[in-house]
Amino acid sequence: MDPLLSPARIAASGMSAQSERLLIISENIANARSTGNTPGANPYARKTISFTSEVDRASGVNLIKVSSYGVDRSPFKVELNPGSPAADQNGYVKLPNVNPLIEMADMRQANRIYQANLQIYKQSRELVSMTLDLMRT
Amino acid sequence: MIDAIGNTNFVSGTSFSKVSVGNNIATNPSGGFDEVMKNVASTAVDTITKAETTAIAGISDKASIQQVVDQVMAAERTLQTAIAVRDKVVSAYQEISRMAI
Repeated sequence: MDPLLSPARIAASGMSAQSERLLIISENIANARSTGNTPGANPYARKTISFTSEVDRASGVNLIKVSSYGVDRSPFKVELNPGSPAADQNGYVKLPNVNPLIEMADMRQANRIYQANLQIYKQSRELVSMTLDLMRT
Repeated sequence: MIDAIGNTNFVSGTSFSKVSVGNNIATNPSGGFDEVMKNVASTAVDTITKAETTAIAGISDKASIQQVVDQVMAAERTLQTAIAVRDKVVSAYQEISRMAI
Protein backbone atom coordinates (compact mmCIF):
# COMPACT_ATOMS: atom_id res chain seq x y z
CA MET A 1 0.00 0.00 0.00
CA ASP A 2 1.07 3.55 -0.64
CA PRO A 3 3.13 4.93 2.26
CA LEU A 4 1.25 8.23 2.07
CA LEU A 5 -2.16 6.56 2.26
CA SER A 6 -1.33 4.13 5.10
CA PRO A 7 -1.07 6.86 7.79
CA ALA A 8 -4.68 7.81 7.09
CA ARG A 9 -5.80 4.22 7.71
CA ILE A 10 -3.66 3.87 10.84
CA ALA A 11 -4.87 7.21 12.20
CA ALA A 12 -8.47 6.15 11.55
CA SER A 13 -7.91 2.97 13.58
CA GLY A 14 -6.28 5.05 16.34
CA MET A 15 -9.29 7.35 16.45
CA SER A 16 -11.66 4.38 16.65
CA ALA A 17 -9.64 2.95 19.53
CA GLN A 18 -9.64 6.23 21.45
CA SER A 19 -13.38 6.62 21.00
CA GLU A 20 -13.85 3.14 22.50
CA ARG A 21 -11.76 4.33 25.41
CA LEU A 22 -13.87 7.47 25.79
CA LEU A 23 -16.95 5.22 25.87
CA ILE A 24 -15.55 3.22 28.80
CA ILE A 25 -14.52 6.41 30.63
CA SER A 26 -17.98 7.91 30.22
CA GLU A 27 -19.53 4.71 31.58
CA ASN A 28 -17.25 4.91 34.60
CA ILE A 29 -18.05 8.56 35.26
CA ALA A 30 -21.78 8.06 34.79
CA ASN A 31 -21.77 5.15 37.24
CA ALA A 32 -19.49 6.81 39.82
CA ARG A 33 -22.27 6.56 42.47
CA SER A 34 -24.13 3.44 41.29
CA THR A 35 -24.68 1.13 44.26
CA GLY A 36 -26.16 -2.36 44.39
CA ASN A 37 -29.86 -2.98 45.04
CA THR A 38 -29.78 -5.51 47.86
CA PRO A 39 -28.17 -5.12 51.32
CA GLY A 40 -24.41 -5.60 51.11
CA ALA A 41 -24.47 -6.03 47.33
CA ASN A 42 -21.46 -5.03 45.27
CA PRO A 43 -21.73 -1.71 43.45
CA TYR A 44 -20.64 -0.89 39.88
CA ALA A 45 -17.02 -1.96 39.36
CA ARG A 46 -14.81 0.33 37.32
CA LYS A 47 -14.29 -0.92 33.77
CA THR A 48 -10.93 -0.92 32.04
CA ILE A 49 -9.90 -1.28 28.43
CA SER A 50 -6.60 -2.32 26.90
CA PHE A 51 -5.27 -2.14 23.38
CA THR A 52 -2.95 -4.19 21.24
CA SER A 53 -1.20 -3.71 17.95
CA GLU A 54 -2.47 -5.77 15.04
CA VAL A 55 -0.89 -6.25 11.62
CA ASP A 56 -3.33 -5.56 8.82
CA ARG A 57 -2.79 -8.35 6.30
CA ALA A 58 -3.98 -6.36 3.30
CA SER A 59 -1.57 -3.45 3.75
CA GLY A 60 1.08 -4.83 6.13
CA VAL A 61 0.83 -1.92 8.58
CA ASN A 62 0.32 -2.03 12.34
CA LEU A 63 -3.17 -0.98 13.32
CA ILE A 64 -4.50 -0.64 16.85
CA LYS A 65 -7.28 -2.82 18.15
CA VAL A 66 -9.06 -3.33 21.47
CA SER A 67 -7.49 -6.42 23.07
CA SER A 68 -9.73 -6.76 26.11
CA TYR A 69 -12.27 -5.14 28.36
CA GLY A 70 -11.60 -5.70 32.04
CA VAL A 71 -12.93 -4.91 35.49
CA ASP A 72 -10.92 -3.03 38.10
CA ARG A 73 -10.51 -5.39 41.10
CA SER A 74 -9.43 -2.71 43.59
CA PRO A 75 -11.49 -2.51 46.83
CA PHE A 76 -14.74 -0.56 46.88
CA LYS A 77 -15.18 2.62 48.90
CA VAL A 78 -17.45 2.33 51.95
CA GLU A 79 -19.78 5.03 53.24
CA LEU A 80 -22.11 5.18 56.23
CA ASN A 81 -25.64 5.59 54.89
CA PRO A 82 -28.14 3.41 56.81
CA GLY A 83 -31.10 4.68 54.73
CA SER A 84 -29.83 3.23 51.47
CA PRO A 85 -31.33 -0.05 50.16
CA ALA A 86 -27.77 -1.29 49.62
CA ALA A 87 -26.71 -0.72 53.25
CA ASP A 88 -25.50 -3.81 55.16
CA GLN A 89 -26.53 -4.62 58.78
CA ASN A 90 -24.07 -1.99 60.12
CA GLY A 91 -25.45 0.72 57.81
CA TYR A 92 -22.46 0.83 55.46
CA VAL A 93 -22.93 1.13 51.68
CA LYS A 94 -20.34 -0.03 49.19
CA LEU A 95 -19.59 2.60 46.53
CA PRO A 96 -17.85 2.06 43.16
CA ASN A 97 -14.06 2.15 43.00
CA VAL A 98 -14.25 4.97 40.44
CA ASN A 99 -11.99 7.94 41.10
CA PRO A 100 -13.33 10.89 39.08
CA LEU A 101 -9.89 12.52 39.03
CA ILE A 102 -8.32 9.47 37.39
CA GLU A 103 -11.20 9.26 34.92
CA MET A 104 -10.81 12.93 34.00
CA ALA A 105 -7.05 12.49 33.47
CA ASP A 106 -7.75 9.43 31.32
CA MET A 107 -10.33 11.35 29.32
CA ARG A 108 -7.89 14.19 28.69
CA GLN A 109 -5.31 11.70 27.47
CA ALA A 110 -7.76 9.94 25.16
CA ASN A 111 -8.76 13.35 23.82
CA ARG A 112 -5.17 14.36 23.12
CA ILE A 113 -4.33 11.09 21.39
CA TYR A 114 -7.48 11.44 19.27
CA GLN A 115 -6.43 14.93 18.27
CA ALA A 116 -2.91 13.74 17.42
CA ASN A 117 -4.35 11.04 15.16
CA LEU A 118 -6.64 13.59 13.54
CA GLN A 119 -3.61 15.78 12.83
CA ILE A 120 -1.81 12.86 11.18
CA TYR A 121 -4.89 12.24 9.03
CA LYS A 122 -4.96 15.89 7.98
CA GLN A 123 -1.25 15.93 7.17
CA SER A 124 -1.43 12.78 5.09
CA ARG A 125 -4.45 14.10 3.20
CA GLU A 126 -2.78 17.44 2.55
CA LEU A 127 0.41 15.84 1.23
CA VAL A 128 -1.53 13.53 -1.09
CA SER A 129 -3.62 16.36 -2.47
CA MET A 130 -0.56 18.59 -2.91
CA THR A 131 1.16 15.82 -4.87
CA LEU A 132 -1.92 15.27 -7.01
CA ASP A 133 -2.06 19.02 -7.69
CA LEU A 134 1.23 18.67 -9.54
CA MET A 135 -0.70 16.92 -12.31
CA ARG A 136 -3.07 19.79 -12.94
CA THR A 137 -1.46 22.93 -14.19
CA MET B 1 4.57 8.30 -33.15
CA ILE B 2 1.88 5.75 -32.33
CA ASP B 3 4.35 3.94 -30.07
CA ALA B 4 4.97 7.18 -28.25
CA ILE B 5 1.25 7.55 -27.57
CA GLY B 6 1.16 4.00 -26.29
CA ASN B 7 4.00 4.83 -23.95
CA THR B 8 2.13 7.82 -22.59
CA ASN B 9 -0.72 5.54 -21.70
CA PHE B 10 1.63 3.06 -20.16
CA VAL B 11 3.25 5.67 -17.94
CA SER B 12 -0.04 7.21 -16.83
CA GLY B 13 -1.56 3.79 -16.23
CA THR B 14 1.24 2.52 -13.99
CA SER B 15 1.66 5.72 -12.02
CA PHE B 16 -2.06 5.77 -11.32
CA SER B 17 -2.07 2.17 -10.18
CA LYS B 18 0.49 3.10 -7.54
CA VAL B 19 -1.65 5.93 -6.23
CA SER B 20 -5.05 4.27 -6.33
CA VAL B 21 -6.39 2.14 -3.50
CA GLY B 22 -7.91 -0.85 -5.26
CA ASN B 23 -5.95 -1.18 -8.46
CA ASN B 24 -7.07 -3.17 -11.42
CA ILE B 25 -5.27 -0.81 -13.75
CA ALA B 26 -1.91 -2.41 -14.27
CA THR B 27 -3.59 -5.49 -15.77
CA ASN B 28 -3.26 -4.30 -19.35
CA PRO B 29 -1.60 -0.92 -19.36
CA SER B 30 -0.55 -1.03 -23.00
CA GLY B 31 -4.09 -1.67 -24.18
CA GLY B 32 -4.43 1.89 -25.42
CA PHE B 33 -6.26 5.05 -24.53
CA ASP B 34 -9.76 3.60 -24.21
CA GLU B 35 -8.45 0.76 -22.04
CA VAL B 36 -6.75 3.16 -19.64
CA MET B 37 -9.83 5.36 -19.42
CA LYS B 38 -12.02 2.32 -18.79
CA ASN B 39 -9.78 1.09 -15.99
CA VAL B 40 -9.52 4.52 -14.41
CA ALA B 41 -13.30 4.91 -14.48
CA SER B 42 -14.03 1.44 -13.10
CA THR B 43 -11.57 1.85 -10.20
CA ALA B 44 -13.07 5.23 -9.35
CA VAL B 45 -16.61 3.85 -9.52
CA ASP B 46 -15.63 0.88 -7.29
CA THR B 47 -14.14 3.12 -4.61
CA ILE B 48 -17.04 5.56 -4.70
CA THR B 49 -19.59 2.74 -4.46
CA LYS B 50 -17.74 1.41 -1.42
CA ALA B 51 -17.76 4.88 0.14
CA GLU B 52 -21.50 5.22 -0.45
CA THR B 53 -22.17 1.84 1.14
CA THR B 54 -20.12 2.79 4.20
CA ALA B 55 -21.80 6.21 4.43
CA ILE B 56 -25.24 4.59 4.43
CA ALA B 57 -24.05 2.07 7.04
CA GLY B 58 -22.80 5.03 9.08
CA ILE B 59 -26.19 6.77 8.95
CA SER B 60 -27.90 3.61 10.20
CA ASP B 61 -25.29 3.38 13.03
CA LYS B 62 -23.57 0.27 11.66
CA ALA B 63 -20.22 1.90 10.84
CA SER B 64 -18.12 4.25 12.95
CA ILE B 65 -17.66 7.90 11.99
CA GLN B 66 -13.97 7.23 11.41
CA GLN B 67 -14.72 4.47 8.91
CA VAL B 68 -17.21 6.65 7.04
CA VAL B 69 -14.77 9.57 6.87
CA ASP B 70 -11.93 7.29 5.79
CA GLN B 71 -13.96 5.73 2.96
CA VAL B 72 -15.38 9.03 1.76
CA MET B 73 -11.91 10.59 1.74
CA ALA B 74 -10.58 7.60 -0.21
CA ALA B 75 -13.38 8.10 -2.74
CA GLU B 76 -12.60 11.80 -3.05
CA ARG B 77 -8.89 11.05 -3.53
CA THR B 78 -9.57 8.41 -6.17
CA LEU B 79 -11.92 10.72 -8.04
CA GLN B 80 -9.37 13.52 -8.00
CA THR B 81 -6.63 11.17 -9.22
CA ALA B 82 -8.87 9.84 -11.97
CA ILE B 83 -9.79 13.34 -13.11
CA ALA B 84 -6.17 14.51 -13.05
CA VAL B 85 -4.99 11.51 -15.07
CA ARG B 86 -7.85 11.90 -17.55
CA ASP B 87 -7.06 15.61 -18.03
CA LYS B 88 -3.40 14.80 -18.59
CA VAL B 89 -4.06 12.06 -21.12
CA VAL B 90 -6.65 14.13 -22.98
CA SER B 91 -4.33 17.10 -23.13
CA ALA B 92 -1.56 14.87 -24.47
CA TYR B 93 -3.87 13.72 -27.24
CA GLN B 94 -4.91 17.28 -28.02
CA GLU B 95 -1.27 18.27 -28.16
CA ILE B 96 -0.61 15.54 -30.73
CA SER B 97 -3.69 16.37 -32.79
CA ARG B 98 -2.60 20.00 -32.99
CA MET B 99 0.79 18.97 -34.35
CA ALA B 100 1.60 20.44 -37.76
CA ILE B 101 1.87 17.78 -40.42
